[in-house]
Amino acid sequence: MSPSPVPAERIEFDSFARVCDLHPELLERFVTLGLLEASADDEGRRWFDRSQVAAVARIRRLRSGLRLSYSAIAVVAPLIDHLDELEVELRRLEAEHHVVIRRWPCTPVEKRS
Amino acid sequence: MASTDGPTDYYDVLGVERTASDVEIKRAYRKLAQQHHPDINTDPGAEERFKQVGEANDVLSNPELRKKYDAFGADFRRVPDDVDPEEWAAAQRMREGAGRPPPGWQSDVDDQAFQDFLQDLLREQGRARETWGPIPGADQRASISLSLDDAFHGGRRSLTLGGPTGERSIEVNIPAGVTDGQTIRLPGKGGRGTDGAPAGDLYLHVTIEPDPRYRVSGRDIELDLPLTPWEAALGATVPVEGPGGTTRVKVAPGTSTDKRLRIRGKGIPTKGKEGDLYARVKIVVPDAPSSEEQDLYSRLAEISDFQPRSNR
Repeated sequence: MSPSPVPAERIEFDSFARVCDLHPELLERFVTLGLLEASADDEGRRWFDRSQVAAVARIRRLRSGLRLSYSAIAVVAPLIDHLDELEVELRRLEAEHHVVIRRWPCTPVEKRS
Repeated sequence: MASTDGPTDYYDVLGVERTASDVEIKRAYRKLAQQHHPDINTDPGAEERFKQVGEANDVLSNPELRKKYDAFGADFRRVPDDVDPEEWAAAQRMREGAGRPPPGWQSDVDDQAFQDFLQDLLREQGRARETWGPIPGADQRASISLSLDDAFHGGRRSLTLGGPTGERSIEVNIPAGVTDGQTIRLPGKGGRGTDGAPAGDLYLHVTIEPDPRYRVSGRDIELDLPLTPWEAALGATVPVEGPGGTTRVKVAPGTSTDKRLRIRGKGIPTKGKEGDLYARVKIVVPDAPSSEEQDLYSRLAEISDFQPRSNR
């Protein structure tokens, strides 16, 4: 495998919009809604952490998959993050105690009789 | 049933009756979509379920499509608008009997081409809803249960993931020395991206199956080391069979049950820091000692002033 260039840790606002294929105004809206976090430097330029690219992908999946509004996603996304943390903790505890605790429903729908 | 050879019945997918009202369908769809959305449900099977549920809803929530689906079943998209359901059913029976396609509609479309066409169509519909380009896939989580030997030695392992129709098999490289509760990240093995966008990652949570021979705690492994009374009293060098092979261990004279002998570096070989193997001494006596053994034990009982319960 040829070595790939190390991706930058943070991406400047306009580049981020390009990378994510987002209109800058929509990106601005995401920031206002608290969906993404931008940090500003001394010169007033705003930067996004690289991990926020994945956050944009999730916003899109939630939007297109569940037709959630952006403000609804702003509520849901942190809950999902929290669920994820709990899930990791749950799995750790399960391993520690050799038990399986109930999961988020993922079983097929029951057959109609 | 309108069709028995279809891949999945849309009503079954949504878990509703064929007589369900639009409201019931919508409610069932919303509920399932929320449960199986790949960002909410990280189970690898959820993605496929989510897709099915969406497809079922696309058809059943559209009165025209639903009517056709009810009449023609899984083949409903291939049937032209002016075909009478009764005639179609009769032709279908004939086709099955004669092994050749009935007249009246395109029968020369090969299945793969048709599937591709359908997928393009669905993709375009998706685009029409949202003017977005490719969306990277979501991360998924799954559990893998390994025997202590597998965890110890590592190696390739085939893992089947996915839901009712989306079963897929992936080859997983288990690094030697994984521990209970550890997570293995498999980049690009998670949820699929759309339109060529990268897939998400798959996180495998490792559970180590209990093994009657061993007790595992993190990287350390403990096992029982049965000793004869004379080995324990006089000391001995005995073989200890751990998951990594046999090690010879020196037992000091006067070793009692429950003493733990540490065998450094023979626990789980996690890179950079190997665990230790502990042999817990367990003194065992023969079930049925011979008369000579009995004599010797009696002799020992006579001459010994050892009182293990005196300091309790």
